[in-house]
Amino acid sequence: MLGDMDTVVLTCRGLERSFGRLKAVDGVDLDIAQGETYGLLGPNGAGKTTTISMIAGLLEPDAGETRVAGQVMTPSATDAKASVGLVPQDLAIYPDLTARENLTFFARLYRMERDARQTRVNEVLDVTGLADRADDRAGTYSGGMKRRLNIGIGLLHRPTLLILDEPTVGVDPQSRNAILASIETLADEGMSVLYTTHYMEEAERLCDRIGIIDQGKVIAEGTRRELISMVGENDLVRLQVAGDATRAAEACRGVAGVGSVDVDDTAVVCLVENAGERLASMLAAVTEAGVGINGVSVREPDLEDVFLHLTGKALRD
Amino acid sequence: MISAALTILGKDLRLRARDRSVLLFAFVVPMALTLVFSLIFPSDDDFLLTVAVVDEDGGPIAAAFTQEFVPALVNQGFVDATYLDSADVARQMVDDGEVSAAWLLPEGFSGQVMAGSPAELTVLHNPDRALSTEVARGIAEGFLTEIRRVSLSVATTATAAGSAFDPRQVDAITAQAAATSALLTVGGLDTEVRQLDPTSYLGAGMAVFFLFFTVTFGITGLLEEREQRTLPRLLAAPIGVGAVHLGKATGAFVIGVVSMTVLALGNRLVLGVDWGPPLGVAVIVVAGVLCALGVMALVGSYATTVEQAGNLQSIVAMAFGLSGGVFFPVGATGWMASLSLFSPHGWFLRGLGDQVGAGSWTGVLPAAGVLLAIGVVTGSLGALRLRKVTA
Repeated sequence: MLGDMDTVVLTCRGLERSFGRLKAVDGVDLDIAQGETYGLLGPNGAGKTTTISMIAGLLEPDAGETRVAGQVMTPSATDAKASVGLVPQDLAIYPDLTARENLTFFARLYRMERDARQTRVNEVLDVTGLADRADDRAGTYSGGMKRRLNIGIGLLHRPTLLILDEPTVGVDPQSRNAILASIETLADEGMSVLYTTHYMEEAERLCDRIGIIDQGKVIAEGTRRELISMVGENDLVRLQVAGDATRAAEACRGVAGVGSVDVDDTAVVCLVENAGERLASMLAAVTEAGVGINGVSVREPDLEDVFLHLTGKALRD
Repeated sequence: MISAALTILGKDLRLRARDRSVLLFAFVVPMALTLVFSLIFPSDDDFLLTVAVVDEDGGPIAAAFTQEFVPALVNQGFVDATYLDSADVARQMVDDGEVSAAWLLPEGFSGQVMAGSPAELTVLHNPDRALSTEVARGIAEGFLTEIRRVSLSVATTATAAGSAFDPRQVDAITAQAAATSALLTVGGLDTEVRQLDPTSYLGAGMAVFFLFFTVTFGITGLLEEREQRTLPRLLAAPIGVGAVHLGKATGAFVIGVVSMTVLALGNRLVLGVDWGPPLGVAVIVVAGVLCALGVMALVGSYATTVEQAGNLQSIVAMAFGLSGGVFFPVGATGWMASLSLFSPHGWFLRGLGDQVGAGSWTGVLPAAGVLLAIGVVTGSLGALRLRKVTA
């Protein structure tokens, strides 16, 4: 569901933050509308966690401003913080407390009244599928259950903006799917979600809009379709080579209509304009360069390719 | 902020209640050690020196010993004296274990003392009664030292005044002084009683020693939150950083006070120890806990991990404990006593001793004031430094 841009929940303008000489976030602008799921996609170390730390009021920005539900967010802005639910990348639960005790503790911190608190805790236990083990200590849970509890704490107080920082890292496929499904449900219920990930397929599945972040800057932003269109009407050609892939890449660069070229282990990945017409020339060039070809595949680009196109490197690097 | 701090306090206390190491450090180990040590070292209440006294001299100095000095000790309840005429009988009683030791004032004792010659007050002892032997020997040496001091003072005064005192006058004055010196000596013993009895002292020492370990569970809580990644979640909640610090500090304070209260009651009920008026105990306990909080907060602020904090805090707690005399009384004078002035543990024990000596709860106030001052100074520095954890 694309959000209602008339009701902006989150606004970031010119956010900057450095750690020593490292500029982790360098002039980030963001807007998230009511009910919108926004994905911040980038490789490890791109500045995603630092950005959301400033949005959640954990870090003071060196420059710029964040507003959540119209209120300026700072580390001391308690009212603004009440509008935000944070699901940190690391498991932030107390293993010696039960799931119910964990939830009740955070519900109290978020000033929920006693009756509403008990009701909401039970709801979240149901939503996260932990009701059966609610009174067992969290330390005895499986990794997936801990992840679900981690998320449950974040959405406990029905935040205006839910921030999830790579919530599926280290999660088995089954639990991962359950987590993504629960986030889809929240989005359908109208909650605004800021989701950071370096998994392209998660961003494609969940997000109404995606911002691609690299080296502390949002280098592109839009819907999936808009981002992919940035690559142009190009196709992605992957040549599996038997020999020096670098030499094969050089050969491909000399072919007309071939855009960006990247070497991926024993493969050469090229963005090619009208691949059907260019493929024969590419194969000939590689062969003439003395490199054998083991296989060829042609497909439409995805967000990973967009990132490659924009930065010249793979998302997982 | 108070509500959020109380919420964090409640959570921490729940977690601590499930942590057996806290229960061990706060209650079980100090109580058990006090019990064990009290069995090894008998208390003053149990100690009575049974001694035979034989005066073969009959002179004025010997009379001062047997008729003034020893009866004063008997009146204080430290000594049970049996007067005999024969050294052989006394020796036999010591050998038979009927008395722990015997004081034998040989013929010519008074004359030797008054002539300034080396005088011998023989202590007959049983090798199996080491403690009694030492006490009997110490009392004898104390008496002789006092007599020599008085004799020297009289002679010096006479010389300085250009008096024509002859030696017989000096001897007479010395003998007269010796007769009253017993009272002076007993007065000195009364000063010692201002200290807690051994079991009470040991119980208080163990309690304050482990208090400094117990409060670390609260101080390191902030580092624990960071290590288990819950700190960002706390800081993202609408509560303010101050509530987190207040909650942690309050948790440490509550654990410390509860630990000390349970130990005080346990020591009282199980071992019958006496720390003095309850109000004074409460004052010194609160001051001690605040001091421990401050000191350990400052020490913990130099650590970046829970393990590092635990190591640093253990070293400091051990050093202060030893220098403060938690395992043995440091006495009122000497370098150990001076060293104990730099230890919160020393001040805690001094406070309880002063209270017992004064017979009023106000006796703890000077020591409590020192503890509070240490706590405020170190706690303020620690709080400033701990801000970096939540920054």
